[in-house]
Amino acid sequence: MSVVPVRLGPAETKLIEQLNAVGASAEAERLAAAGLPTRRVEAYHYTDLKQLLRAVPELAGDPLAGTDITVSPAAMAVAGAFRLAIANGRVQKHGTAPGGVIVGQAKGGVLTTRDDVVTRLNGALATEALTLEVEGSIEPVIQIDRRIEGAAAHSASAARIFVADGGSAVVLEVYSGSDEAHLSNHSTFLQVGRGATVTHITVNLMGAKATHFATNEYVLAEDANLRTLVINAGAQLSRTQLFPRYAGAGAMADVTGLNLVADGQHADITMDAQHAVPHTSSKPLFKSIARGRSKAVVQGRLVVARDAQKTDAKLMSQGLMLSDEAEILSKPELEIYADDVVCGHGSTCGRLDEDQLFYLVSRGIPKADAETMLVRAFLAELIDPIEDEALNEALTEVIEGWLARG
Amino acid sequence: MTTPMLEIRDLHVRIEEREILKGVNLVVPKGEVHAIMGRNGSGKSTLSYVLAGKEDYEVTSGEVLLDGENILEMEPSERAVAGLFLAFQYPIEIPGVATMTFLKAALNATRKAKDEGEISTPDFMRAVKEAGSALNIDADMLKRALNVGFSGGEKKRAEILQMALLKPKMCVLDETDSGLDIDALKVVSDGVNKLRSPERSMLVITHYQRLLNHIVPDVVHVFSDGRVVESGPKELALELEAKGYAGFDGEKAA
Repeated sequence: MSVVPVRLGPAETKLIEQLNAVGASAEAERLAAAGLPTRRVEAYHYTDLKQLLRAVPELAGDPLAGTDITVSPAAMAVAGAFRLAIANGRVQKHGTAPGGVIVGQAKGGVLTTRDDVVTRLNGALATEALTLEVEGSIEPVIQIDRRIEGAAAHSASAARIFVADGGSAVVLEVYSGSDEAHLSNHSTFLQVGRGATVTHITVNLMGAKATHFATNEYVLAEDANLRTLVINAGAQLSRTQLFPRYAGAGAMADVTGLNLVADGQHADITMDAQHAVPHTSSKPLFKSIARGRSKAVVQGRLVVARDAQKTDAKLMSQGLMLSDEAEILSKPELEIYADDVVCGHGSTCGRLDEDQLFYLVSRGIPKADAETMLVRAFLAELIDPIEDEALNEALTEVIEGWLARG
Repeated sequence: MTTPMLEIRDLHVRIEEREILKGVNLVVPKGEVHAIMGRNGSGKSTLSYVLAGKEDYEVTSGEVLLDGENILEMEPSERAVAGLFLAFQYPIEIPGVATMTFLKAALNATRKAKDEGEISTPDFMRAVKEAGSALNIDADMLKRALNVGFSGGEKKRAEILQMALLKPKMCVLDETDSGLDIDALKVVSDGVNKLRSPERSMLVITHYQRLLNHIVPDVVHVFSDGRVVESGPKELALELEAKGYAGFDGEKAA
């Protein structure tokens, strides 16, 4: 194989320097050889990192060592939640965990074996991971605040969550930080045990100058039941990667996501789901709302292994464009090796329905209110299934806040 | 002379390059029910949409006065709170919008225009229940998303429910009989008849005479090729049924 030399930009050079500084020389060499992915790499076709990632700030220091930040104001608050924090990549002290939850720390980043540059950077640069072991039914929402404080920084953080067989938990992760040009790279590994029921929600509320990467890997055991919701409402550039793996028969998941992008933002949700065994089901549903000059990307890939007969999977992506300059890009992919499955995908994109709008205003509802009603209606499918009332309310507040900024 | 509830003067309307309404003149006095009959494509539905303020239609000349006030420059929502109500031929389904949420928003918009405060939830529930029971609308139907999964009859009854709640001055009913069986037609007509009052006028648009057996009009207008070609008492509808629309086409230049 001939080696084509890659011209490295300042962001790549900085990343390589940082990888070398933490002793990850093998990763540094890989990056030097391949560079950041361009549009020619299928998985990054709409989010060309070589183009979009122009600068990488210094690796985050630990300005918060010894301070307890779990009581500092969060970007999002859920009444009654048990709160934990990871600041600048470091796991912070926390209050008393509810019974059934064991909080710990481990070395290193994600556990994934995915061959992906964002994931590998996280693995190499995250020095410690928050671990949660959950047994039984946990009532309070577990909220993990991932923050980047201080001057612009490159920060990698990781969490590993294990929900035992038959357990249930609701986990919320909120990404926020000071209003600087941070580069965050977060990962979560979540294992859902046999017959366990888990809701996992991540909300990106990073500042307008930030770049945000997140990788969520899910492993579902037999009869596991998972609902996920990714909300991208912050950062100039964001990419959230979802890697669910249906590893036990009867496992099912509603993997959902929402891109809310306004002028100057680019948000990407990319899912690559592996149905590995027979009798698993999933209903991935992604929505995007774009206004101003912005870009929302949804890529959804379902891979059904040869043995994964009776897989039932429906992938849907819907986009709502609120301006002429907005772009919504949607790419569903089905890769099916089994012959007895029910799999489908759909993708729609458009403006608010004129007939629906006219019907509402013809009843006296002012146009702006009618538009808000229709936007809420568009989002209801994602928010309504969140049963925890306080969490549902907090998420609604985030969305209403975004809508109000229009 | 008292101000008519609705007065349309020489209304010309086109969509793109095609003229649909070619000089409509029509007066509906307060408290009266007028019918407009005409064959498909004669411009009846266009007239109803233009009155309600739908975009896509270009008014090239003419006036529409609602209780003496020109409404053509108003937004659709402003026309509605001014007292105009269009019962749609095909009510629009809106998934994700709860029927009750919609009804409350519409009712509060109307109240706000009259400088009344927002309706309390118990008062609202009572008003909906009261108006609904007369129309055989049960709680289950109201729990669904707006018009979603409603049968043709349910949709039309829901339109009349909105009319009863919003108490408009001028009701325009566009083909309210379409898609209704005879029982549903009776329920809907009874609902409409209950709303007849000296302060309220109605314009009933239909191409069948049968609806007018139930909602008996004071005046019937025959619509052809974008204008009113004949007006007369309710017996005109029977004559029309007997002669067919062709018998009136020759009079359109009159």
